Amino acid sequence: MNIILRELKAHRRSLIGWSVGMFFLILVGMVKYQGFASSGQSANDLFKGLPTLAALFGVQSVDISTAIGFYSVLFLYILVMVSIHASLLGADIISKEEQDKTAEFLFAKPVTRRQAITSKLQAALINVVILNLVTLVSSVVIVGAYNKGASVTGDILLMMVGMFFIQLIFLSIGTAAAALSKRPKLAAPVATSIMLITFFLSLWLDITKKYSGLKYLTPFKYFEAKTIINNGSYDPVFYALSLGIIVVMLIATYRFYSVRDLSV
Amino acid sequence: MNVIETSKLTKYYGEARGIIDVDLVVEEGELYGFIGPNGAGKSTTIRILLSLIYPTSGSAKIFGKDVVEYGAEIKQDIGYLPSEVFYYENMKVKDLLNYSASFYKKDCSKRILELVEIMDLDTSKRIEDLSYGNKKKVGIVQGLLHEPKLIILDEPTGGLDPLIQQKFFNLLKEENKKGVTILLSSHVLSEVQRLCNRVAIIKEGRIVNVEKMSDLASSNYSRFRLETKNPIDKSIFVLDGVSGLKIENNSVSFMYKGDINTVIKIIASIDLLNLWVEEPDLEDIFLHYYE
Repeated sequence: MNIILRELKAHRRSLIGWSVGMFFLILVGMVKYQGFASSGQSANDLFKGLPTLAALFGVQSVDISTAIGFYSVLFLYILVMVSIHASLLGADIISKEEQDKTAEFLFAKPVTRRQAITSKLQAALINVVILNLVTLVSSVVIVGAYNKGASVTGDILLMMVGMFFIQLIFLSIGTAAAALSKRPKLAAPVATSIMLITFFLSLWLDITKKYSGLKYLTPFKYFEAKTIINNGSYDPVFYALSLGIIVVMLIATYRFYSVRDLSV
Repeated sequence: MNVIETSKLTKYYGEARGIIDVDLVVEEGELYGFIGPNGAGKSTTIRILLSLIYPTSGSAKIFGKDVVEYGAEIKQDIGYLPSEVFYYENMKVKDLLNYSASFYKKDCSKRILELVEIMDLDTSKRIEDLSYGNKKKVGIVQGLLHEPKLIILDEPTGGLDPLIQQKFFNLLKEENKKGVTILLSSHVLSEVQRLCNRVAIIKEGRIVNVEKMSDLASSNYSRFRLETKNPIDKSIFVLDGVSGLKIENNSVSFMYKGDINTVIKIIASIDLLNLWVEEPDLEDIFLHYYE
């Protein structure tokens, strides 16, 4: 319990920063929608003529003249943001004790490595959930304000479920990177690199529209906004796949951190 | 009862030597010194005892329990002060102490107040604003606040002024009187001499000798340095117990072991400008005592 509280306190400021950033990303994004909405169908036509550009902006098979359609474009960048947050958080929360040389203090206390990881994961989970809820509330309120048709709260809620899985995937990749790496400084760069590589892979898959089998390699293809808008639900395969990745990464985190020498 | 017992404890960092076949036995209630030059393996041994790192081979037991298997359990009763103290910055001293206390299954608040008083520590300050010496004081309080049965100190006195060092040593002696076992690692011989009953000497990863402090002291070397008015003849210092004799112009230096009166009488016959009789440093000990 003490470690959880300590970590919550340590990450409080950073979480506030990310939350404020998220609110403004959504706000500014949707204010742009106003401009788009007035141009109406012409924006859709523009992107139809430029498929690569459309892919880059995630504008494919959705009508961006609607508020939720426009939001789905924005959602890709929301995903990137929470993924960076989760990767850094996961890497940092484990590796920080070694980086700041406080590991020698903490692990001279009667606490096992496993107990410390469990507490840190709980604190990280709370952070991730809060950022998710902030995103949810901001999105529902701001998108709702621009929405003219049927309620979109259900769609947004589903997107947030997908986002939560993506957050957990990158959080656990971050903690695994920190647990594996004997050099604590490498944890964050490794975790964010993995995140960026998978992001660019998903963009590339959108542009080429080939090699669709590769979509299993990038979490950004698991829970896409357009799937929700067009189908109303995600493919259950991706839930299972996400869960599998998270479990493997968590096992790796516990196992490797418990058996290796701390860098003190 | 043996509080610490290691058997053939060995640690390699990849190819690099940490410690080799270290057999260390510290009995309950002992004030045990662990001495050796920097890089000899003192910190490595201590970090294995605290299961911060794991041995390559061999084993270590504290309170009769394996340190790897029962690490967390035995640490309930261990207090540790590392050589360099690093704490969570932007935390106040009292927050850090309370955080430290929160790991133990007992109420430490009274003992914290006592120790803070003894160490003369301002607990409302932020850790990052503290001087090195004051951080070290936080380390001392943090290491002792749960009234551990075993105190492990790794080069504890660096950065402490002599007054605080004295207070700290008195504190350790008091704890020891209550039956607390203390393992003190140091590269400063005098520090260990002041405090310890027994001492293990470690060199290049291996324990080279374990001595009672009283034995070590009685067979102690002194280092003599003289400055004379006139050049002197080398033969004057040729006698039993003198080693490492060096004469350069009007300055003479040597190590001496034996009856102090003998050598003092010889020195008395010389016309001196200056005279120093010093405790040998560790290097001298290794040079003259263990080779």
